[in-house]
Amino acid sequence: MKMKKTDIGVIVFMYLVCAYFYTQTIKFQADSQTYPMFTIALLFGLTTLYLLQMIVAAKKHGVESGVDTVFKDLQPKQLLVCLLGAIVYVVLMYFFGFYISTVIFMAAVLLYLRVPLLHSAIAIVAILALVYFAFGKFLGVRLPVGTVIKMLR
Amino acid sequence: MLETLGLMGAGFINALTPINLLMMAAGVALGIIIGCMPGLSAAMGVALMLPLTFTMKAETGLIVLGAIYCGAIFGGSISAILIHTPGTPASAATAIEGYQMTLQGKAGKALFTACYSSFWGGLLSCISLYFFAPLLAQLTLKFRSAEYFWLSIFGLTIIAGVSGKSIVKGLISGALGLLISTIGLDPVTGAKRVMFGQAYFAEGINTTCALIGLFSMSQVFILAEKKIKARAQATKFSDKMSLTRDERKMIRPTILRSWVIGNIIGLLPGAGAAIACFLGYNTSKSFSKHKEQFGKGSIEGVAGSEAANNAVTGGSLIPTLTLGIPGESVTAVLMGGLIIQGLAPGPELFGKYAPMTYTFFAGFVLVQFFMLGIGLLGCRGFAQISRLSDAILIPCVTVLCCVGSYAIHKNILDIVVMMTFGVLGYFMRKLDLNTAAVVLALILGPIGEKGLRNALKSSGGNPAILFSSVVSWVLIALCIVGILSPMFMSKLEKKAEKEATAGTAEDIEKLTEEDSV
Repeated sequence: MKMKKTDIGVIVFMYLVCAYFYTQTIKFQADSQTYPMFTIALLFGLTTLYLLQMIVAAKKHGVESGVDTVFKDLQPKQLLVCLLGAIVYVVLMYFFGFYISTVIFMAAVLLYLRVPLLHSAIAIVAILALVYFAFGKFLGVRLPVGTVIKMLR
Repeated sequence: MLETLGLMGAGFINALTPINLLMMAAGVALGIIIGCMPGLSAAMGVALMLPLTFTMKAETGLIVLGAIYCGAIFGGSISAILIHTPGTPASAATAIEGYQMTLQGKAGKALFTACYSSFWGGLLSCISLYFFAPLLAQLTLKFRSAEYFWLSIFGLTIIAGVSGKSIVKGLISGALGLLISTIGLDPVTGAKRVMFGQAYFAEGINTTCALIGLFSMSQVFILAEKKIKARAQATKFSDKMSLTRDERKMIRPTILRSWVIGNIIGLLPGAGAAIACFLGYNTSKSFSKHKEQFGKGSIEGVAGSEAANNAVTGGSLIPTLTLGIPGESVTAVLMGGLIIQGLAPGPELFGKYAPMTYTFFAGFVLVQFFMLGIGLLGCRGFAQISRLSDAILIPCVTVLCCVGSYAIHKNILDIVVMMTFGVLGYFMRKLDLNTAAVVLALILGPIGEKGLRNALKSSGGNPAILFSSVVSWVLIALCIVGILSPMFMSKLEKKAEKEATAGTAEDIEKLTEEDSV
């Protein structure tokens, strides 16, 4: 099996995680260091083992990008819109509460994904009803009201 | 013996309360809906529904999760038979014969066979659950701190090796999870550790938020990255959903064989319903008196695959409930549900909490009857739901992930954590890292830490204590087996798949392609 360049990212990420946790862990009390140090050593050791495996694979079979197989058929714009949409949704929820932000988020994403209007409306109403009855009524969860709405009240 | 029988009886009486029955029906229906949608998985469904079980009694919560699990495994066969796309990998083999039957106008017969075989596979698997689980739980009475440390490592080696292409990558995922589990206050001394300067992290990472993020939110991103395509039209069928007496007689031995296969596969940590369905299908082909019908719409093929994948459910609960070692993603999530209810796998479940455990077991038996009834009555409706576009699923699942995470502590930061794990899970899945290993490590991490530190404390810091008992050495040996078993399992799966698809190569190529989505 060829070495994939995308795996370099995995290795760099794991080393960075190890480095971050190590710099934090050495500040702990001696007793509290034992287990985190064990896990850091474990992750570091396994990442190094994987690095060695990759080097051997590169020497034996060569190197390939990996991007084309890992992100095959990727629709970057669509993914980004959904990801950013989800982030904006959480921010909106903080300010405007659950119900308003959910309507805005769902309507925007469904519109972007070209779902017919009637289907979109049914989906939004169904989800709002489901959340209201399952979480609001059945579980008694007070869904976020939103700081702006609170102020207006 | 009499005591056990009494507990079993009491379990059924408790399980038959109206609320439990209602939850069983709802869980099965929801599971079938999740299972029959090709974009969604059983693990994702169970993770998404975890927050709904918080306020329920432990046994009711577990029954709901078990019902979703069983329903989802069966639900995959509906889309496999009617639209030639397995809803879950566990139904990949069902699609081979099931869709052929649909093309011949026998969709009703295929669906009945799938439902009937799933029912018997699931029901029979409960026998081993009742029989083996208490026995295995007794073993853990011999465990001390050092053994608990090795048990947590064993659990990780098992799950880390599953489903990924590289064992080392699986182990890296487990180690990453262990490291994340150290976030928050020291569980022994209460001293501050990594908390990113936020008091919110004092109690560590919320496992449920991590679960929802890694399994459900990451799936949203997986759906969002692909071009949205319209699903194939579900074939409308008018034939009767039934089997003749001769046909039932014919598939009886197949169901029994698949039950044994599914159960053994379920018991083996690291294997899963996807392997079982191919092995069940393959064995039914080998023993069939009508081999010529295979590849052309054999009811034995459908029965073999479906009985085997549902027989996995009961079997896989045994190591999960007794040793705390889930063999696959769904049972890892189920174990998360157990721990969230304040329960720990092991002998206590069959001692102090025996009434709760036996109620769950009884509920699991009754769930199979609900699956049969709801499956048969609702097939046509579920088939239509399975066509629901990913474009609608993306925002709907996102909203449910957010509400589910928020409901736990009513804190918006929980949604942020869930979202972070969602992004992490997306990249992990893209780069062949194992999200189930991270979840399991988050659960097992604190158990392992307490075991390690208590063992070292009792020995005055001498690590030799970790190797001082026979049980420890057995667990170390099992860790090694755990690391090596995926190689064997992957060969077994490939062999079964190859034999199963002989003559229908084109079919399975298409299925695998759709499955990977």
